[in-house]
Amino acid sequence: MVYASKQRQVFGKLLVCLFLIIMVLIWLTPVIMMLVVSLMPPDQRAPGLGGLLINKVSLFNYRMVFNDAPVIRYFRNSLIITVPSVFLVVAFASLAAFAFSRLNFFAKEFWYYLLMLTLMLPLPTLIIPIFQINKSLHIYNHYLGLILPYTALGIPFAIVILRSFFSQFPKDIEDAARLDGCSPVGILWRIILPVSWPPLSVVIIWQFMISWNEFFLAMVTIESNDIKPLTLVPLIYSGQFMARPGAMFAILTLITVPIVVVYLFMQRYFVSTATGGALKG
Amino acid sequence: MASVLITERQRVPRPWSLKKMVSKNLGLLFVAPALVLFFIFVLYPIFYVFRASLLDWNGVSQGIYIGLKNYITLFTEDRAFKLSLRNSLYWIFLTIFPQMFLGFILAYILNSRIIGRNILRAIFYMPAIISPVVIGIVWQRIFNPFGGLISDIGRTTGMNFLIQPYLADPKLSIFSCISVNVWRWTGFSMLMYLAGLQGLQKEVMDAAAVDGVNLWQRIRYIIWPMLRNAHLTLILLGVIGTLKEFALVFMLTRGGPNHASEMLPTYIFLKAFPLQSMGYASAISVVLLLLALGLTLFLVVVLSARFLFYE
Repeated sequence: MVYASKQRQVFGKLLVCLFLIIMVLIWLTPVIMMLVVSLMPPDQRAPGLGGLLINKVSLFNYRMVFNDAPVIRYFRNSLIITVPSVFLVVAFASLAAFAFSRLNFFAKEFWYYLLMLTLMLPLPTLIIPIFQINKSLHIYNHYLGLILPYTALGIPFAIVILRSFFSQFPKDIEDAARLDGCSPVGILWRIILPVSWPPLSVVIIWQFMISWNEFFLAMVTIESNDIKPLTLVPLIYSGQFMARPGAMFAILTLITVPIVVVYLFMQRYFVSTATGGALKG
Repeated sequence: MASVLITERQRVPRPWSLKKMVSKNLGLLFVAPALVLFFIFVLYPIFYVFRASLLDWNGVSQGIYIGLKNYITLFTEDRAFKLSLRNSLYWIFLTIFPQMFLGFILAYILNSRIIGRNILRAIFYMPAIISPVVIGIVWQRIFNPFGGLISDIGRTTGMNFLIQPYLADPKLSIFSCISVNVWRWTGFSMLMYLAGLQGLQKEVMDAAAVDGVNLWQRIRYIIWPMLRNAHLTLILLGVIGTLKEFALVFMLTRGGPNHASEMLPTYIFLKAFPLQSMGYASAISVVLLLLALGLTLFLVVVLSARFLFYE
């Protein structure tokens, strides 16, 4: 009897291992394929086995991409769009989340739920209006035409995350600070924000990812190649690099690396917030 | 006595005082930047798109008011619109449930002490952070019947049924797109379930283990029901995610062949920009908007789903 259950346990473990191996293969193969094709040498016409086999590793495609396409410029454009939007979301959402969790003011609930409306709207429904609004505000074909909408669309989710963290903050400490003459801004800046790294890191990763990867609005509101972000690059060069999958995949790799780096860099906070929040019940 | 009365009287607040109004509503000042951006880029656009949907308008010239004509055309004659509604339904059900199921199994396994679990978690989560443009181009290659990975595997192993025009066949294309989407979001579900599992009271789990309940019963009757909030959050995010999906489908198929994998956002794009009928595209946007609001309000109000389930 004991022996039988032991046998079953071993069988169960094998099943789990098999499942994990298959899943890892499916999840990893496309990423590996992207890297392999991007490292294909110039004399090979097509990679073998659907893009997994190459004759030798070569950096030719990367050199070609850097020579033929101003990758550095697109990269810089992406940063010019992403960094301010992350910064503005963090600043405006912290202020708002602080007010929603610690202050009282006129029609507070109403404003909160109004802002939350954003979370229920798919961006494509707003594409036409934002396209036209950008034109009338003269920010069409301009970095601001992406920075401001990305910020507006990112703030509500950031408020949800920050508010739930801020409202756990003990009232006593806040009262003590107020008695010592600390203003509300001081309480937020000196007392609450310094201990809010976990939720702030979630907001930063999330907003960075949204702004870095956004495609639809960028495609329809940015016309000149000079200011296009990195996500539009495959579209610009799809004709030119049609016969050179290696070059295209080198571009794809270059788009992917920064976001993976940001994720790995902040991942520790990211997972612990999700779990820390859950522990609360 | 008299002096007390006087001081009392002085303390009576004046019915209207600017200073008091400001200090009482200081919070509004804190919320103002968020609200200003919200009014310009979210609330005003909603009114804008409703008004534009009543116009015959190319986006440049003055529009002509035509009442509900766009909607009538949309619901009576437009085959592509019907296809995109059908595809949204497929997409909602065939993404959300497989992704929840796989995500839960992964979370359950990776919640135990297993070697390399952090690396495994990172591997499964990675697609969720990669640009959908990148994912689209890579999977386009994988699906390619000439030299694509799946067809090459079919050729090498002799399983010829694997050689298919996954994206060019109108019967297959939408399902190919959906399967890529499952690949993309399963890790996200896993992360949500991991958070949910770690929030379960240890006593409940221990009690269940002691009571001689077997693994299947433990998952089916104790763990799965206790993760209700995680399920609801994933369904809510899945529905909204489906309704806003653009880049992945656009890169994989552009909604083709012949609208077979069209989604509402790709159809909005097609009508508004290449075809220059912004009035008509606004009507599609309004339908999408009402669909999104209706479904999310139903999930939030009736089923009390939350955007953050551990709040």
